[in-house]
Amino acid sequence: MTSAVRHRSSFFVFLAPLVLSLFSLNISANDKLVKMAEDDRNWVMQCKNYDCNHYSKMTQVNNANVKRLRPSWSFSTGLLHGHEGSPLVIDGMMYIHSPFPNNTYAINLNEPGVIVWEHKPKQDPAARAVACCDLVNRGLAYWPGDDKLPPMIVKSQLDGKVVVLNAKTGAVHWEVENGDISVGQTETAAPYVIKNMVIQGSSGAELGVRGYVTAYDIHSGEMVWRWYATGPDKEIGLHKSFNKENPHYGQKGLGLATWEDDAWKIGGGTNWGWYAYDPDVDMFYYGSGNPAPWNETMRPGDNKWTMTIWGRDADTGLAKFGYQKTPHDEWDYAGVNVMMLSEQKDKKGKMRKLLTHPDRNGIIYTLDRETGDLVSADKLDETANWVKKVDLKSGLPIRDPEYNTRMDHRSKEVCPSAMGFHNQGVDSYDPNKELFYLGINHLCMDWEPFMLPYRAGQFFVGANVWSYPGPKGDRQKGIGSGQVKAYNAISGKYKWEKMEKFAVWGGTMATAGNLVFYGTLDGFIKARHSDTGELLWKFKLPSGAIGHPMTYMHKGKQYVGINYGVGGWPAVGLVFDLHDPSAGLGAVGAFKELAKHTQMGGGFIAFSLNGEGPYDDISLGEYEM
Amino acid sequence: MKIKSKMLMIALVAALSTGSIAVSAYDGTKCKAKGNCWEAKPGYPKKVKGSKYDPKHSKAELEKQTASMIAQESRNKERAENFKKTGKWVY
Repeated sequence: MTSAVRHRSSFFVFLAPLVLSLFSLNISANDKLVKMAEDDRNWVMQCKNYDCNHYSKMTQVNNANVKRLRPSWSFSTGLLHGHEGSPLVIDGMMYIHSPFPNNTYAINLNEPGVIVWEHKPKQDPAARAVACCDLVNRGLAYWPGDDKLPPMIVKSQLDGKVVVLNAKTGAVHWEVENGDISVGQTETAAPYVIKNMVIQGSSGAELGVRGYVTAYDIHSGEMVWRWYATGPDKEIGLHKSFNKENPHYGQKGLGLATWEDDAWKIGGGTNWGWYAYDPDVDMFYYGSGNPAPWNETMRPGDNKWTMTIWGRDADTGLAKFGYQKTPHDEWDYAGVNVMMLSEQKDKKGKMRKLLTHPDRNGIIYTLDRETGDLVSADKLDETANWVKKVDLKSGLPIRDPEYNTRMDHRSKEVCPSAMGFHNQGVDSYDPNKELFYLGINHLCMDWEPFMLPYRAGQFFVGANVWSYPGPKGDRQKGIGSGQVKAYNAISGKYKWEKMEKFAVWGGTMATAGNLVFYGTLDGFIKARHSDTGELLWKFKLPSGAIGHPMTYMHKGKQYVGINYGVGGWPAVGLVFDLHDPSAGLGAVGAFKELAKHTQMGGGFIAFSLNGEGPYDDISLGEYEM
Repeated sequence: MKIKSKMLMIALVAALSTGSIAVSAYDGTKCKAKGNCWEAKPGYPKKVKGSKYDPKHSKAELEKQTASMIAQESRNKERAENFKKTGKWVY
């Protein structure tokens, strides 16, 4: 036996069983999450499941009886500011998160009036000063446990920490630095769990933060991999087959070649949005955000790989494909929005694994998620004007130069506004109806750049923005800045669309009960018929909603829940009492009417038919002698 | 023929005076290489360094994020190593 063969055989004898057992553990963690997500009693991920379709097959609450939905119970976080995301529900326990200071509460659904455990981190208050757009956080993640470790709740904090907590006790398992506020790095994104890894994005492109995505081992807290959005290929993490199927998207060396000098080091591309994962192809998907600064004149080039839909291998994080939607962004159309996975027949009748992504730039993209092939790219609203169309063959947006931006020039009536026709909302997909339900902003803007040097940890935007309702809204009254639409990604047609008074910031949830739910900035939760868009039910919440609805079954009853607590980018004027219409990165003018409808204060409300719930037993929680 | 040329001239002068011809050049479709399609807008520099739009960033400021990331990763590594040895996570 030669030494090489001996070496190989000893590998198989000693290491192969270990590798195989790790592999089977990995499969087990994924399988558990997939199974749990199918169970109506759980809401195990922010997006409901790995497909991120935000769709529940429950029908107990349906179009015929939804008008009987009433509050069953509620929980106040005691905090002001925007409450994005939604709670998780696992095995009869609800896990509620909050904006800064990022408290976490575990509540037993048998008696929601009792807090089982809480985690209240002490953070440097200076983190507040580097938060881009209010003090939001988009929620928690769950890891289901194995034979070595009990189940864990994973959270991110504004100060950049990622923390893993024992789901039963709230005890800290580990906590790591995933950002440094002194250089402007913060965390607002929800963590994401794949196999035995915690995946965490990054925030702070408005302070010139170079975006990065990182995986940590749930057991040990060790970093597994970290990849950036800009810079050398070896730091971006390109798979050897990167964009093999679509070389026209670009392949090697562009993270440097599309920037001037060292501008990529402060070039943004943070990823503070949502993930989806396909266990079959073992790839996960997310979007990188806007290049920094917003002032395009200061950063010549396509600025790769900001504004990119990534398809990355889960184990290594290496990118199999990257499609840049808005090369050389000029409008802050940060590309971090929700990625929804579906299996549908394309126009030729071929069944395909698809990824659909409503982007801030006013286009809704559908890609083949195995290859990155562009299948469709339709306008979210016909009023999007910076782009004439997306050429499906080249993947390039054909820009309308009339709406470009540049130094020494005020661009007017650009649609969408920097806030996008769609922002951080988690939308939904009904696989039976083959419809996506989209919460949309209807906002346009004026834009005027200015010069500024980069200083680490300081705002690095370089543009004044004035946002306002789009052409279908009422600009004088400051209303008509939102829409809800039902969209078919194959035909490219909208089945129905409805205007809303304000941007539908938090997204939608669809159910098999022919319903689509969503919250509104002025403080309503609403249900529409998912076939027609007809408004069937609404309830006035204590404060505006910017999170997404969720639903779960407990003791045979279906509950529909939502976070309330106005804030986030659209409500920075209300939150910080700002009045200059260009303040709050252009949001103040767009939402000047909001404060007449709602005020701050956050929490969660669960609804059920007739408001039934744990406190139907009025002795529950009473003092007993 | 004369009228046509006159109209063309008027249109050209009008376009130049509003700058619409100059600005209309960049539509993002003329690529130097695959995935590299940016062009300078007419009247704006291809490189900002040394131009009136040079932001004159400090080299030291540009390096701060990289230095911070290296330091964070190093501290996290020490924490994880200590955790492995002691079974206790110390931040």
